[in-house]
Amino acid sequence: MAVLTKDMARYGSRKRSSMIAMGLCFSATTVGLTMLTIILGTLVVKGAGGLSLAVFTQNTPAPGNDGGLWNAIYGSLLMTTIGVCIGTPIGILAGTYLAEYGRHTRLAGIVRFINDILLSAPSIVTGLFIYTIMVKPMGHFSAIAGAIALAVIVIPIVVRTTENMLLLVPNQLREAASAMGMPRALVIRQVAYKAAWTGILTGVLLAIARVSGETAPLLFTALNNQFFSSNMNAPMANLPAVIFQFALSPYADWQKLAWAGALLITVAVLTLSILARWLGSRS
Amino acid sequence: MKNNMEHTVRSYEDELALLDKKIAHMGGLAENNLGQSFEALERRDPKLAETVIRSDRAIDALQREIEELVISIIARRQPMADDLRHVMAAIRISGDLERIGDLAKNIAKRALAIAHETHPKPLISGFRHMVELALRQLKDVLDAYAERDSQRALQVWTEDAQIDAMYNSLFRELLTYMMEDPRNIGLSTHLLFGAKNIERVGDHTTNIAETVHYMVHGTLIGEDRPKIEQVSNLDTMKG
Amino acid sequence: MNMFSKDTAANAAIAGKAERISVKDLKFFYGKHLALKGINLPLYDRQVTAFIGPSGCGKSTLLRVLNRMYDLYPGQHAEGQVMFDGKNILDRDLDLNLLRSRVGMVFQKPTPFPMTIYENIAFGIRLYEKLPKSELDGRVESALKKSALWPEVKDKLNANGMSLSGGQQQRLCIARTVAIQPEVILFDEPCSALDPISTAKIEELIDELKSDFTIAIVTHNMQQAARTSQYTAFMYLGELVEFGLTPDIFTKPKDKRTQDYITGRFG
Repeated sequence: MAVLTKDMARYGSRKRSSMIAMGLCFSATTVGLTMLTIILGTLVVKGAGGLSLAVFTQNTPAPGNDGGLWNAIYGSLLMTTIGVCIGTPIGILAGTYLAEYGRHTRLAGIVRFINDILLSAPSIVTGLFIYTIMVKPMGHFSAIAGAIALAVIVIPIVVRTTENMLLLVPNQLREAASAMGMPRALVIRQVAYKAAWTGILTGVLLAIARVSGETAPLLFTALNNQFFSSNMNAPMANLPAVIFQFALSPYADWQKLAWAGALLITVAVLTLSILARWLGSRS
Repeated sequence: MKNNMEHTVRSYEDELALLDKKIAHMGGLAENNLGQSFEALERRDPKLAETVIRSDRAIDALQREIEELVISIIARRQPMADDLRHVMAAIRISGDLERIGDLAKNIAKRALAIAHETHPKPLISGFRHMVELALRQLKDVLDAYAERDSQRALQVWTEDAQIDAMYNSLFRELLTYMMEDPRNIGLSTHLLFGAKNIERVGDHTTNIAETVHYMVHGTLIGEDRPKIEQVSNLDTMKG
Repeated sequence: MNMFSKDTAANAAIAGKAERISVKDLKFFYGKHLALKGINLPLYDRQVTAFIGPSGCGKSTLLRVLNRMYDLYPGQHAEGQVMFDGKNILDRDLDLNLLRSRVGMVFQKPTPFPMTIYENIAFGIRLYEKLPKSELDGRVESALKKSALWPEVKDKLNANGMSLSGGQQQRLCIARTVAIQPEVILFDEPCSALDPISTAKIEELIDELKSDFTIAIVTHNMQQAARTSQYTAFMYLGELVEFGLTPDIFTKPKDKRTQDYITGRFG
């Protein structure tokens, strides 16, 4: 019996510490979720108030005038699309090199390391970089510089997910394909990509979600434009910059539009994330 | 020659050991019955003869047990190589020993049948030599099995010729005896069959020797056993 | 002694059998580590040869030399000779893809490609031949029939290969290998992920395939080696300890290490 009592005492203290730990985790979760709910709640309440058809049809107004966000939405979509179109192929090819051809080489190790740094680098650094190499020499801000800045952010994300997804493809599958006499390039194209495409696509979607909210790189590159423009060689309006500008302004109608724009970005990012999750769970 | 390395699975090792124990037990009973059946014949002891007849059942039971054990080992352990040869040898040897037990029982029955007749001394002593040799061979071959001693098995195999030779000479003596006086025919026939039984015990012993050799080496004894036995016209009893 | 008489049928088989592949003094290195220490071994034409031995003995390594699978990995190399059709498989300038189309391989885990059942097979054929659709259909069907999968999949050729059961997937992989008409098929523990019924089907298949192909199989299951093969090679610590007719290896091995391994005495 003595042994049993002793064990019970030890068990009791363990149980207590387990309860404490659980309690801490629970409260942390509560705090986090509460914050998130408040943020989303405020956003929906204030943003929904600013939403109207005009938001999608009219351009950004001068203070006190009616207007919408059309030029900014258009600019964001255009620059994001171009950025993703530039960044994705480079990212996928580089990720393929890391996972398939260069897996054990020194070069791959270095590339992987640099890519990880790039992945976690503040986006303002990217903005400054593009500013230095494009905006300064060209002498003016431009949409193309913005798109390239976004591409630079897209690349490391796509590299990482592509590499990871290809690494998840069982080696046996590659061996099996090689054992049939398939050349390496064909093994990658026909077998590895086929097995990993949902994962890679998920990565691309997450990259889009990530860049669609980026402000800093665009401020240094595409800047902003009060008017509608599809000239890639000129400054272009975009949602993050407009939100930045309007939210800081003293005008109530601008602030309202800023909230609507924030809601739009959030909904877009949320949709992309859900899509990415759905794709991920399907594979 | 026995493999010193034990199986990873101990219970398998134990089952193979049990098999050897049962063979040894069965061999001991067969030896004992063979010796006693001849004693019953020689001493004209019906009681002893009946004991032998009764105890043959124990041998039969052991044979069944060995068969069951071997079947279970094959089913559950899938023996390979020397283990496979070991269990196959055990099942074959148990068959031979069971036959030896039957032959001893048959001699005991004949001992009952001729318990009240006088035996011709010289014939009986020829018979006795034959039995002694057969018993020694049987003991040797069982030892050879227990010790995985193929050399000894080979020796038994070669020496079977002696038993055959003894049988042939006993056969001729009994023929002469019968021709001397037709009244001897009954007794002589029983003795003749008895001697034939011993000769067959020798054959079974030889089988066991061959089995032991196979068990140890996985190969057959090179050549055919030399047949010294001269088959006479009257010898239609050859089994 | 009929029961113990020599396996005359197997002996008859050994005579007059041509060597399809001859391994001569094969050494294999993982980096600096010597994994195969001079192997000499024949693979007889249209016979099944089983490689057995404890883990790490080099049996899979040996198998992977026969189609130069090791070439996929840096730091691995082989020395010696592996003669196949008058050429040394180990030659540096050998066309690997051509070699692998002649020496097929089936793996431990079923590895259907992420595509339809039909495509899984047609894919390999297209690598080497340009066929009209009807002929391709015929080839796919015959490969599926040869691998005893046809009755089970003929109505769902467009289903994903991954949707099949493990045993069916493995037969699909065999069909895929058979479809490109190799001369040799290497099996690397093809049943270790399968249940007994699926295993029996694969074994039956191997037995049928040997009338057309020379087969080498690596297996951890000694009974499987005994059941499927005509020749058995026992390997230990990178050496070929014993090679011979399967009935001989499993009833009267000559080397004590072989005996101790196949009887379960290995320490």
